[in-house]
Amino acid sequence: MTMNERLVEIFRRSRAGTFMKEAEYDLLLARRARELVHDYEIHFDSQQVCPTDDAMADRVFEAGLQLFTDVGIYHLDTQRVMKFTRGEALEALRQAPSTLHLGEGADQVIASHRGVEDSTPSLNLTGPAGQPCSEEHYLEMLISYAQEPYVEAIESGATLTYNGADIMAGTLMEVKAVQRDSATAREAVRRVGKPGMHIGDCATGMTAIGKMAASDPLNGLRPCDGRLIAQMCELKTNDDQLARVPHLINYGSHRINLMTPLTGGIGGGPEGVAVVSVAEFILGVLCYFATYHYLSITHIKWTNNSDPWGMYVLAMTGQAMARNTHIVMTDDPFTMCGPCTDELLYEVAGHAIIGEVCGYHQHGVGSTGGNEVDHHTGLEAGFQGEVARAATRAHLTRERANEIALALLPRYQDTFKNPKRGKPLAEAYDLRSITPTQEWQDCYRRAKEELTRLGLPFENGPYD
Amino acid sequence: MTAQDAQEEARHLGSALTKGDREAALAAVRRALGAGADPLALIQEVIVPSLVEVGRRFEELEVFLPELMASGEAGTACSQVIEEEIIRRGGELKVEATIVIGTVRGDIHDIGKNIVGTLLKAHGYKVIDIGKDVPAATFIDAAEANKADVIAASALMSITRAGCREVADLLRERNLREKYLLLVGGGSLDQAYASEIGADGYSSTASGAVEQLKSLLARSREGSRT
Repeated sequence: MTMNERLVEIFRRSRAGTFMKEAEYDLLLARRARELVHDYEIHFDSQQVCPTDDAMADRVFEAGLQLFTDVGIYHLDTQRVMKFTRGEALEALRQAPSTLHLGEGADQVIASHRGVEDSTPSLNLTGPAGQPCSEEHYLEMLISYAQEPYVEAIESGATLTYNGADIMAGTLMEVKAVQRDSATAREAVRRVGKPGMHIGDCATGMTAIGKMAASDPLNGLRPCDGRLIAQMCELKTNDDQLARVPHLINYGSHRINLMTPLTGGIGGGPEGVAVVSVAEFILGVLCYFATYHYLSITHIKWTNNSDPWGMYVLAMTGQAMARNTHIVMTDDPFTMCGPCTDELLYEVAGHAIIGEVCGYHQHGVGSTGGNEVDHHTGLEAGFQGEVARAATRAHLTRERANEIALALLPRYQDTFKNPKRGKPLAEAYDLRSITPTQEWQDCYRRAKEELTRLGLPFENGPYD
Repeated sequence: MTAQDAQEEARHLGSALTKGDREAALAAVRRALGAGADPLALIQEVIVPSLVEVGRRFEELEVFLPELMASGEAGTACSQVIEEEIIRRGGELKVEATIVIGTVRGDIHDIGKNIVGTLLKAHGYKVIDIGKDVPAATFIDAAEANKADVIAASALMSITRAGCREVADLLRERNLREKYLLLVGGGSLDQAYASEIGADGYSSTASGAVEQLKSLLARSREGSRT
């Protein structure tokens, strides 16, 4: 099936699929996921947050594929279920790219499919990860990421206001804000001397209109950049998401499949959510023509993924996709704690290490789980890349990654009920020089010393 | 059928509700009513405590969202049967408060709103769920049509939170602000924003929303007495 034929077929099925109430679909998906977890003997052990069982990884993939074909995709506007066959899903996976060119000119990087315990280090495609940002410090915020030595691409945050007024989705204010924020991202990469650096998205744009408004080769996002196409929990799409696809294909832009599976949500516990996540990867490949994927696992209560459930879903889904497909995917650490706390860096490190050995490139960081405006900085994002690089340098196995992640867990797990939200960018950095404060640099050094003791061989870092 | 039979069926009802077994719960409630059980007692002494217990387990992460959803669905179905029975017997079902709940215009994320709605129902409130991506005027029209006490507006995404402000502003414009309690929540909001738009209450968690509502209703009723 050609790309055009598939697009038309997606539309046709969004109109001709079986009509079903959303709540009924949710319960159907929940029940089928639970059955598949049982039938495919998928197990969660809190002492094995990074399992090493290849056969189980393959079963997770098979269960996810089975879930995808059994329950289909829910279209929220038409309330119809779009079904695809196993053959169609596998064909789409076969056609998906395994190597990407991100950015342009001297700043272009090549992102290739990574396998389990891959010896090639990941890329770090990072930014405020769609988290709330003030318009006052947005340029400094993005520069703080783009200037980091262990960062190869930036993504974006979501600003809350335009000239002090609330931005409202689907209105001219959204378009104005997207035009401003995509130009700000462009300016940030220029300022740090990396004008061709890949820009992953303009997250202030939430609707198709907003996302498309970022397309501007001169001052906004270029074809070498990307845009997110999101799924709603779980396995749901709508016309607004699908409408972005043909625009981004024609523009030549990267299409990034954003998944936010909820642990403790409709997929149930971590085993079920791993199965659901595989199905959501397939949705992104088949319907969004995704060139790469963000797996942004979200705890239903805490909105983080640095807990054992989140790490397990990351590890299991990553291994399933890395072993059975050739797609390019990123992890996406979401933490409880914020800048100027040691705990944030330990949360990031555990996630980065597991991501690194389970086939992902790095992406993030959702510091404070998106709960605090401007509580995200380049330092923790650069640190994520540095930790990931050290993990590959050490030829870390999944077994060893599991040991380190479990050793780090007690250093932050107690904060879940009373998180240390830390400080916003304006207090964590000197905004004139865009340099982390001494306090924040001290946290970085302490975390690196601790990780060195745990066996990660770091080379020079920016704040040593 | 004896009072003992009715008690036995009430026990079955509680068990079915906590398991989220809609059909078993409906069968039990019909048998209990047939055995002469007091419809109001079934709601207050069986359905509400059973669903509150499921809500507690969900909050403690002992069960997951599907279990909460299934129990909520079963509870709603049973409540409808009981309500019909009360009306058939010539009575009237008094509810603690009626809440119109929805996700504001532009926002299609509704899991948080659904959890809050389920927990509110579990605590015995009448919940009118008007869905997601709802314009401000629809919140108010639904509140007026259903003689509601509370409007609860949710927004997850950063650039949809302005929809909560629209609800608050429109209430003021229509001189209805004092008529309803306005509760807001969702990932893109915080207490500062809730205060800025003049909402009566804000919560960052589902269980917190229930507690917030109880407290606001108590204060409101206290105020109306003085």
